[in-house]
Order: sequence, then structure tokens, then C-alpha cells
Amino acid sequence: MSQFRDSEGLRIINNWMAENGYAPFPFQLQTWQRYANGYSGMVVAPTGFGKTFSVFLAVVIDYLNHPERYPKGLKLLWISPLRSLAKDLAKAMNEAIDAIGLDWTAEVRNGDTPTAARRRQERNMPDILLTTPETMHLLFSQKKNSRWFKNLKCVAIDEWHELIGNKRGVLTELAISQLRHYAPKLKIWGITATIGNLEEAKSVLLPYSDLKITEIKAKQKKKLDIISVLPDEIEVLPWAGHLGAKMVDKILPIIASNTTTLIFTNTRGQAELWYQLLLNAQPDLAGLLAIHHGSIDKKLRNWIEDNIASGYLKAVVCTSSLDLGVDFKPVDCVIQIGSVKGIARFMQRAGRSGHSPFERSKIYFIPTHSLELVEVSALKEAIKDKQMESRDPMVLTFDVLVQFMVTLAVGEGFKSEELFQRIQQIHAFNYLTKEDWLWCIHFITKGGKTLNSYEEFHKVILEEDGNYRVKSRRISMLHRMNIGAIVSEVNVMVKYMSGGYIGMIEEFFISKLKPGDSFILAGRVLELVQIKDMTVLVRRSKAKKAVSPSWLGGRLPLTSHLSHYLRLKLSDALQPGRLEKELRFLNPLVSRQEEHSHIPKQDEFLVELIETKDGHHLFMYPFEGRLVHEVFSALMAYRISKIKPITFTIAMNDYGFELLSDQPIPVDQENIRALLSKENLMDDVVASINASEMASRKFRDIAVIAGLVVQSQPGTRKNNKSLQSSSGLIFRVLEDYEPDNLLLKQAYTEVFNQQLEEARLQQSFERISKSKIIVKHARSFTPLSFPLKVDSLRGTMSNENLDKRIQRIKEQAFKID
Amino acid sequence: MNIAEEHISISGEELTLTNQRAIFWKRENALILSDLHVGKTAHFRRHGIPMPHDILEKDLHRLEALIQYFRADQLIVVGDLFHAEVNSDMDKFKTWLNSFDSLKLLLIKGNHDERSRHFLEDLNIESVFQWVNAPFVFVHDSVDDTSDFFSISGHTHPGVLIKGKGRQKLKLPCYQVTQKQLILPAFSLFTGLNTHDSPKDAVHYAFTNSSIFKFE
Repeated sequence: MSQFRDSEGLRIINNWMAENGYAPFPFQLQTWQRYANGYSGMVVAPTGFGKTFSVFLAVVIDYLNHPERYPKGLKLLWISPLRSLAKDLAKAMNEAIDAIGLDWTAEVRNGDTPTAARRRQERNMPDILLTTPETMHLLFSQKKNSRWFKNLKCVAIDEWHELIGNKRGVLTELAISQLRHYAPKLKIWGITATIGNLEEAKSVLLPYSDLKITEIKAKQKKKLDIISVLPDEIEVLPWAGHLGAKMVDKILPIIASNTTTLIFTNTRGQAELWYQLLLNAQPDLAGLLAIHHGSIDKKLRNWIEDNIASGYLKAVVCTSSLDLGVDFKPVDCVIQIGSVKGIARFMQRAGRSGHSPFERSKIYFIPTHSLELVEVSALKEAIKDKQMESRDPMVLTFDVLVQFMVTLAVGEGFKSEELFQRIQQIHAFNYLTKEDWLWCIHFITKGGKTLNSYEEFHKVILEEDGNYRVKSRRISMLHRMNIGAIVSEVNVMVKYMSGGYIGMIEEFFISKLKPGDSFILAGRVLELVQIKDMTVLVRRSKAKKAVSPSWLGGRLPLTSHLSHYLRLKLSDALQPGRLEKELRFLNPLVSRQEEHSHIPKQDEFLVELIETKDGHHLFMYPFEGRLVHEVFSALMAYRISKIKPITFTIAMNDYGFELLSDQPIPVDQENIRALLSKENLMDDVVASINASEMASRKFRDIAVIAGLVVQSQPGTRKNNKSLQSSSGLIFRVLEDYEPDNLLLKQAYTEVFNQQLEEARLQQSFERISKSKIIVKHARSFTPLSFPLKVDSLRGTMSNENLDKRIQRIKEQAFKID
Repeated sequence: MNIAEEHISISGEELTLTNQRAIFWKRENALILSDLHVGKTAHFRRHGIPMPHDILEKDLHRLEALIQYFRADQLIVVGDLFHAEVNSDMDKFKTWLNSFDSLKLLLIKGNHDERSRHFLEDLNIESVFQWVNAPFVFVHDSVDDTSDFFSISGHTHPGVLIKGKGRQKLKLPCYQVTQKQLILPAFSLFTGLNTHDSPKDAVHYAFTNSSIFKFE
């Protein structure tokens, strides 16, 4: 150990840091030392504490001490979830490299990299390559790709907490496994922020028994101020889904009194709206206020990021697009508009301000409806208790697996038995059976059903040398276009008639507009002229009224942790503590709920029945978050429909759900306990999931990832029109003809694993069984039910005969669209 | 298979709409249908997307049952009989077609049919872009409404979205009928539904596996 302390490499780095007035943090030093001693591991540190320099400099120091162990070519591979991160990281690394006097280069490679640069890299790889999980898989789909990686020393996975809970995490696990195949002595280092299941996160990233593994935690803690901004009077607060536009006057002074403010909204649509509201309220902000989200042109986004860093911009309205990223030094204030739905995400956003290690982070919370004040109160409590959510890793994602197998077959090819052995080592596929594996092989070579093969289906071919390969150029091309696990809505490009690219918008939104209609994108009011080849042509509009686009993917569910605190706080709200200003403020609204219906105490469960001209409504409030409520509501619909055939439309939010029917709902004080019984719980859940649309919705992503649905590429003429089909259609086809298809089964499994959280549902029913169930008939909507009524996202569940249902709709007043 | 019928009369001609996605025209003893998209599943397979053959077989069984039920001796297909390039699905179709002693097939060519021109010749299928048999004109995609004839077309795969009390929504395939035209639903079950485009003042004949419902 003392050898390392005295090493030349460490001395050079220490000197370089000292010249710039820094000294390494203890966790950095520890990382360098462990790396030098041959460890792989995981670094846990909040942003702004130099976590990049922990792993990056570890490799540099080791190189300085042992240059003979590092042949020419790629040495360090840096995988991060966001493209925007890579550019600034590469800049910081190159600056360090130059200052230290190394002859290395660090380069970025991702979807934004120009073709010429990519070709150059393929001829001559840089020493450090910064990339994304998707681009790694694209590299594996190239011929002779192994030559690039055979001398690789270290792969770093940055922001691992952002990857682990989704399919991109599985892509990352697969990429690491493939890299180990090429470079068996590879060291693997993860970098993560604090999450609830760090131990698990480490074992998912590092499942290999031949590695020496360590975990290094930064001791530094960030100081955080949370300030909730209350409106002048409670009536000012509009309802869910509507924005607290009157809060604008409260935001302007905050912007004025800080250097640079990031204003986070939860959806791109909200970002567009708030940008307009702020500009209208204070027109001289023009030029100093910007809008940043994932649908805005890359060049514009880069400009905005550069100008936040330089301190030129006063404020930026943004979405999760700026959740991650390098330090924006001037940012000293963050405003969060609307509930952020999770503790970890809230902390992450708060941490974007006061970025240097010893500054405080400051976050203002602006509620968009009353109940969000309860949420912020719950958030504060959770942060005080140091409760962080877990990010659960996904397992047995067959869609990602078959995609990866085809990727390898397009690239260098693979041998079945050997790949199976490797795949089984990966956390996501620990429980992959031989039978499942053979199904996957069959699926990519023969097409499907195990008994008969499909003529003309020659996607992957077993060659005489025992390797599986793709021979058709067209299939290779289609596959490369499809690599990845982020499935977005179909997007179209928005361009001016005169040229000039503005951004992307969902086809679903644009399909509802007619030429001449106006809409808002990137803070501009635009008039739709025509749609051609997946491109929307527009001109500037002078219209006063314009629709703000809605992006479907915008909603985040409340995490289970936060919902627990929420339930506590609501029952407190009738007698708020002296210091809980949010709850005190809410008191009039809570009293109204109590007066017209009831505020559920901790040991109570509230059911509301209301009849309006829309029909018959049933509301329940389990406070378990949107995802669990989707399952819960389907279950209730299923159980009620066993009493009599009935059709429901279902709406849900994080607090509860609504069942709405055109017919009276047979629920009363007598049967409510049986309906909410924990008996036969899982059997009924299975039946209700089968009867609902949940699995079919999950299948959307699976179909795209597994290559069953070809996505059209925005802005290109080649939109593969003859291969268009919807995942819904394929879902039905498979249910009819191939019910054993593993991808179909995966859709049902995902409903179970991701939404239902069996343990959480069990607990919830356990709690309800011990609670007093309160059934209230209200004469009109209550403060709790109103947000559900106005929610427009609805599902349907019916066990009625279709013909009878249509007949009744015909007899009632019906409308045709 | 359950065949539900709805009789309509246009300029004195009696047409029988069925819930099985084809119309029987009594005077010509013909079945009128559109968008069969033969070759679609094989086209998908060739591009690495596994789709079972059974889809085509099921479509052809249904058509055969309709032919027998109405004792039709003629098929008028208003476009998109074939989906893409010539492939194994087409051979299946050829065998199926040849199994009839005297079934006449008239094809009004659609946008998808161009790529199988030689195959049409090979099969001896008569094909035109437009066919007039007063009072009707048969076309694939109706654009020209100045014509003196009542047009019968397909192409759009029409569907209808019905909204009822309690915010119920239902999406069903349908025939769209106006004073000047009739649009047929896609015959193949391996097709999507388009509920956006509906001619002005159209009456919708929506259907299920067992019934037809008129919405006007």
C-alpha cells in the first residue's frame, strides 16, 4: 500500500490538483488506491463531489505507474445514460489530460456523432471513449468489433442508479458481459448516487465471482433547503391537471433574487406553458429565459447548456432533460413546479443548485394543486428520516435478450452453448432456463411456434462453423435502426416552411390538428401548414390561442415510500402541527372534505359513491401510487362485475382511483368488506389483469425492442410503410396463434413485477382488512375525488356482451368521432 | 362463423352488407371486398418479423365461407388484393383460387398491387384502375366526388369510435355510406383501423362477430 502512496503517478496527480488549488477527497484517494490494487467496485457519491475524477484518474494514475501494461488503443470505456453528459465530461477529461501532459485523447461516440468522426474512430480508437448503452450495442453489431476492445482495461458505468431500474440497465449488464468476453481481465467500476438498495445495485453490476470487489462511499453530505411557496389564498389553487398560473407572480421575484435558476416541470407540455406564462408576465425576460426539453433541437439545447454554464441565462424552464449532467456552476436556485413523485428525484433536482461541495442547495416547491402541499410535507418528513427509494433491477427481459442475440449475429456471430453460459452469469438472466434459451434461438432462426417453422423467415442462420449469423443486409439494417430499449411515441420532426428545424413532436398530438391550427413548441407559436414524410411543416403564427402539446410519456407514478408518508400526513391534516405550514394552509380544504365526506384517519379506508349526469362513480383512496392503483382498480372492477355484468371506465392518480359506469354500481355497506377482502387476492388479481388492457400496453415496448414492430424514422422517406403494424394487432395475433410466446408472457410478468408489487398490494389489503371501511354517499365531487374526475387518461374494463353494450349505447345519447 | 346481414338499396340496386367484411351484390351475383393484403405476413417474415401463416388461411376460409353462403360466382376486389412483392403467401392464394371451378375475379388496382403485376398476369386476373357498372363506379381510393356514379371503394380501413354515457368508448370496424359513395372495411384481419377520416354525413354500419349496428 505504501508503494502506491509513494508512486510517481499519484505524485503527478496530487501536484496537478494542488496547482489548481484542490486536494483529493478521501473517497477519490481510496478509489485510486483500490484500483491500483486490482479491484473492481462501486463509488457512491452525490453529484458535485468529483465522482468522475475518482474512476477516471484511477486509470490515469495506474497508466502513469505502469505504462508498459497499456498497449495502444482503447483503455477506458465510459458508459453514461445521457448523451448530453458525454460532451462536457470529455471536455473536462481532455483538459485534465492536457494539463497532466498525457498524449491521450478522450472522445464521445453516440447517436449525435457525425459519420466522419465515427469512421475515424473505427480506424483508430481513442484512449477513452464516452458512450451510451445503446451505442455499445451498435458497436457490437459491427463486423470485427472485438479488435477494438481486446486491450480495454476498465469500463466505468456512470449514473448507474439511472440505469438499474429499467431495460437500459439490462442492456448495460449485457454490454459488460460482452466486453469481459473480449477482455477477460477487464475491471468494472460503477458510479451511483444514493439509492435504497445499494447492495443490490452493486451485485447486479458486478455478479462475477472472479473479480475483487469493493464499495467506496463519499462521506460528504449536501445541505438542503426546501421552501414551499404558498399562494395568497387557498381558492387560488386550481385542481389537478391544471396549472397554478397565478403562482407566476410568486416565481418572478425568486428568479430576480438569484443568479441562475432552473425551473423544473414534470412534462414537456407544462414546460411550454410555464415558459409562455413567465414571458407574458415579464416580457423583458426574453432572451434571458430559455426552455429546454427532450423534444427541442439538439443545437438549441447545446446552446442553452453552454449559456447556463457561462451564466448568461437568468432562468431555464426544463424537464427531466436537465436532471443529470455536469455542474452548471452559476445555478444557485432550483424551482420545482408540481409534485416530483419521488424522494430520490427531488433530491437529485435540488442538487442541481449550489453545485460545489460546500454550498447549500436551495429548492422552491410550487404546488399546482392543493394536495401537492400534502406531498411536500411528506417529502420533508421522508428526507428528514433519510428514506430513499430502491430502484429494482429488471429480470428475464426476453425482448432485450433476443435483440442482443440478433445484434451479435449481425456483428461477429455467436455460438449458442457458449453464449448461453455467459448470459446465465448476468443478474438479469440468472434464472434463464435451457428451455427458454432454446425458445429464443428458435425465435430468431425459425420465427416462432416450436413445432413448425416459418417459410421465408431467415433472420438468423446457423452456419457450418457453428456460429449464428445474420446474412441479409436489409435485415441487418433494420435491426441496427432498432437497437436500444427506449421506446418513444412515434415522433415527427417540426420544420419551418422556409427551412430550419425546431424540434420533435408526437404524431399522436399532431394527428389531432388540422392545417391552419396553431400549437406551441420550443416556446414558439406555430401554425401547421402540412404534414409530409414524417415531417410537420409550419410557419410562425400570430394566433393568440394555441394548443400546448401533450406528450404521452410524461407522467411519473408516486413511489411507495412517498405514498406511505402521504397517508400519514393526510390523516394529520385535520390537526396540523405548529411548524407544518403546508398542512396548516390546507386546513380549509381538508375541512371541506371532512364536511362533505370524510378524511380517512390512519386506521380507516374511504369509499365514496357519487351520482352525476356522467353516470355512477365509485372512488377509493388507497394512497399507493398510480401503478398499484391501476391493478387495484382492475381488481375492484373485476370483483364488482362478478355481482352483475357491467362496464367501467377507470381513472387513477397517485391518491386513489375512480370506477365510472353508465349503470348503478352494486356496492354498499353490506358487500364492501367482501369486495375488499384479502381472500383469493392473487387469483382475482390474475383474472383481472387478464381481463384488462394492462398486458397489451406493456407489450408495446416489448414488441418494439424485440423487433416485432418496426419504428419509422422521423424525417426520412424510408418509413418502411409496408412493414407497419401496431403492437396491439401483433398482441392479438400472438394471443390467437401462439399463446406460449415468451414475449407475450413477459408482458404479463411485467405487469406483475413492475406495477403490482405483490408485497405492496398484499400489505395494502392487510391494512384495509384491519381498517374501518367508511362508505360515503356524496352529493357532488369532493376535494379528493375532483382531481380524478377531470383526469382524461382512462382505461376500460367490461365483462358485458359486446352487442348488448353497443345496443345500450345506441339507446342512450351517443356521439361518433 | 356467424354471418349477419344488413340490406341497403342504392339507386335501385340491392346490396347486402355483412359483418364478415364483404358485400353481396345480388344483380351480379358478386361479392365486393377490399384490402385483402395477401402476402403481408410473408412480407413481414422475409424482413425478420415472425408472423404465422394462419392469419392468411383464416382470411381465405372466411372468404370461402362467404362465397358458399351467397353462392357467388364473382369477386370484385376494390384494391390492395396483394400487399407487397410476390412471395409464398401468393402461391397459397393461387392454389386457393384455382380450387374453384368458375370463380371470376376482377381487381381494381390499389397502391399495393403495383409490385405484383406479373403475378396478376400469371394468375389471369383481370385488373383495371377503375370499373364502371352503372350506377356504380368501383375504385380503390375515392377522391373524385364529381363523378356521376356512386363510388364503391376501400383503402382507408375505416373504423368508428363510439362514445357513450359514463365516458365509454368503443372502436369498431365499419362501412361508411353517403349519398355518393360507400367505403368498405379492410377484409383482412391483419390490418389496423382508421377512425380519423370519415366522409361528411356518412352513415356508419359498424359490426361485431355477431351483429351489424347502424349509426347515423
